[in-house]
Amino acid sequence: MSDTAATLTQDRQKLEMAALAAPAVVFTVAMIAFPVVYTIWLGFQTFSSAGKQSFAGLANYSKLISDAEFWHGLWVTIALYVLSLTLQLVFGIWLALVLFHAKRLPGIVRSLFISPFMMPPVVAGMMWLVILDPSLGAANYILQWLGLPPSDWLASPSLVIPTVALIDSWQWTPYVALIVLGGLQSLPPSVYEAAQIDGASPFKTFQRITLPLLLPTIVTAAILRSVDLLRFFDIIYITTQGGPGNASNTLNIYGFRVGFEFFNIGYASALMLTLTAIVFGAVLAFNRLRGAVAW
Amino acid sequence: MKARTLATQVALPVIAIAVMTAPSRAADFDWMKFKGKTVTFLANNNPVSQALLTYKADFEKLTGMALKVDSYQEQQMRQRLVTVMNADSDEVDVFMTLPSREGEQFAAAGWYGDLTAMAKNEVAKDYDPNGLSQALLKAATFGGKLTSMPMNIEGPIFYYRTDIFKKCGLEAPKTIKDVEAAAEKIKTCDSTVTPFVSRGLKPAVAYTFSNMLHNIGGSYIANGKSNLCSAKGKEALDTYSRLLRDFGPPGVVNYSFQQISALYRSGRAAMAFESSNELRTVMEGGARLKDTGLLPFPAGDAGQVPTTIGWGMAVSSHSKQPDAAWYFVQWATSPEIQKKMALQGIAPPRPAVAEDPEYRKWIDEEPVRKEWQAALDVLATKGSSEVGYPIVANPQSREFIGQAVQDLILKQKPVDQACADADKALDALISLN
Repeated sequence: MSDTAATLTQDRQKLEMAALAAPAVVFTVAMIAFPVVYTIWLGFQTFSSAGKQSFAGLANYSKLISDAEFWHGLWVTIALYVLSLTLQLVFGIWLALVLFHAKRLPGIVRSLFISPFMMPPVVAGMMWLVILDPSLGAANYILQWLGLPPSDWLASPSLVIPTVALIDSWQWTPYVALIVLGGLQSLPPSVYEAAQIDGASPFKTFQRITLPLLLPTIVTAAILRSVDLLRFFDIIYITTQGGPGNASNTLNIYGFRVGFEFFNIGYASALMLTLTAIVFGAVLAFNRLRGAVAW
Repeated sequence: MKARTLATQVALPVIAIAVMTAPSRAADFDWMKFKGKTVTFLANNNPVSQALLTYKADFEKLTGMALKVDSYQEQQMRQRLVTVMNADSDEVDVFMTLPSREGEQFAAAGWYGDLTAMAKNEVAKDYDPNGLSQALLKAATFGGKLTSMPMNIEGPIFYYRTDIFKKCGLEAPKTIKDVEAAAEKIKTCDSTVTPFVSRGLKPAVAYTFSNMLHNIGGSYIANGKSNLCSAKGKEALDTYSRLLRDFGPPGVVNYSFQQISALYRSGRAAMAFESSNELRTVMEGGARLKDTGLLPFPAGDAGQVPTTIGWGMAVSSHSKQPDAAWYFVQWATSPEIQKKMALQGIAPPRPAVAEDPEYRKWIDEEPVRKEWQAALDVLATKGSSEVGYPIVANPQSREFIGQAVQDLILKQKPVDQACADADKALDALISLN
């Protein structure tokens, strides 16, 4: 076969492969692009309470700036994010270390440790709603049995954010632990042997070797949790619906209510696109950090 | 505004109902007319639809149609409906609706099919559209169009523990002041129970608060403006929030029907102001069967103006087969089916069914059922369907009512500020109407 013929055959094969792959590629791109483009378009529309639609230009975005509920929602979202992420990273690393060193721990105990994140968040929310009920729940019963005063938990404007952060951390700390455990198992044993020969204490070993080597893994876990935490919805919707008052009204909850309860789909789209931009920003920042700590 | 209100809320409903009284073509009616078609029903998975769908096979046998049920919890059902209707989709033929909540909004958006002509021309001999509660039909009529047919009648009623009242030397309360006095007495007489419980969750407050406001003599709107800061409005806000703050359970700001029923059923509340629909849940296990009394909410300065609402069945304006959909609506709201549902504890929106001997026998089996029906009779005759502001943005108005009540329960604002803030936000909503 001549070179020209071979090239033609190769080109034809490439075309055939492209043709075969095209439907899947077009479908996937359309499935991703359509909702995004549609939401961007909706963000430029305004809907009356009766659902009547008209073009609004940038009005929805300028309304964000003067909307006190938006700024409050942003504050709640960031407060929950920072608190939950801190708790989940600290306890996730701790749990991973426990599971890594307790090699004789039976499999069933290990499974139990990591089981909460396999539970649907709605089920977790319902379960904690019952446990934390100030009148009928087990949490206050235990506090009083220990001689401590009962708490209003989710019904207190000042406690609702820490309480929701605790519920989310109960569910997702094991997930962080699982990622970190994977990182721990991949660390080179040689550096630990060298540290042992040099007489490094367990704390110094953790501080100077384990933690720096684990940083890329920890940042990966932080990225994955950031995406979820900034979109915090299900547990709040089940437990408080943004209350008491608007004390736990995250941007996602606020956007949902504006869209699906008050029918202002245009403003809700603007809210959700702003939230998406915040999530992208956080992911980009963490990606840069991951690049900086890679080894 | 006044002329428009008169036209839409009084004159046109009367015309619509009058049209239904005209002679129908019942003789030509054939249940098998749409044999082979499939009707899709978007249902709220509540006791009303659960009772109805027990007889799904009967409908399919009677009509030869298939019934596809798409069932969700209440909020998720609305979420699905908003998505379907905004997309102008014909995926849903029939959906459940609360006219008191979303009626104005859905009607203004054009989501309801007009049932007026079908209720006149396409009815079976025994359907009797005039036998349905006229108050509920009126509440479902917007701009002269009948938008849904009532499935049940319900409203908040007053549950109280007769044994605790007896122990504390109390009589059944006749007025709101009696309720406050009873709560005060029970607090000292039996410290193991919560004296009073009702809704504190922000979006849920309007359902029970409206009854308190109307009994006291207040109104949501006066002269086109929000009226919460009127003397009666402030009294209602203060009384409702004080009852919950001083005599309610801890964490009451997160309480809706689930928590209230659970607390009362477990014997840890002496008085509960909650939906008549919750009777079955409250009586589960039988612990409260013999020690519960039921009343319409006690009177205020304006007497008893109970909140009376009902779920309705509407035909989607985007349905490609509204006639077949109407057959399902008609079957579901027929005297025969409503009697069967009533025997499962769903209060019938037809006075004739409430008088049916078989239903009366079921009612007479337990004293608590008798009191429940007596309370519902008061709801049916004296009730108001106004839950929150009678404006298109009714669901959003409920948020601001709930916010004012929560601000007071949590002592975050004095009553003057809470009502002023609510009025300001609500005036903005009213102006959009």
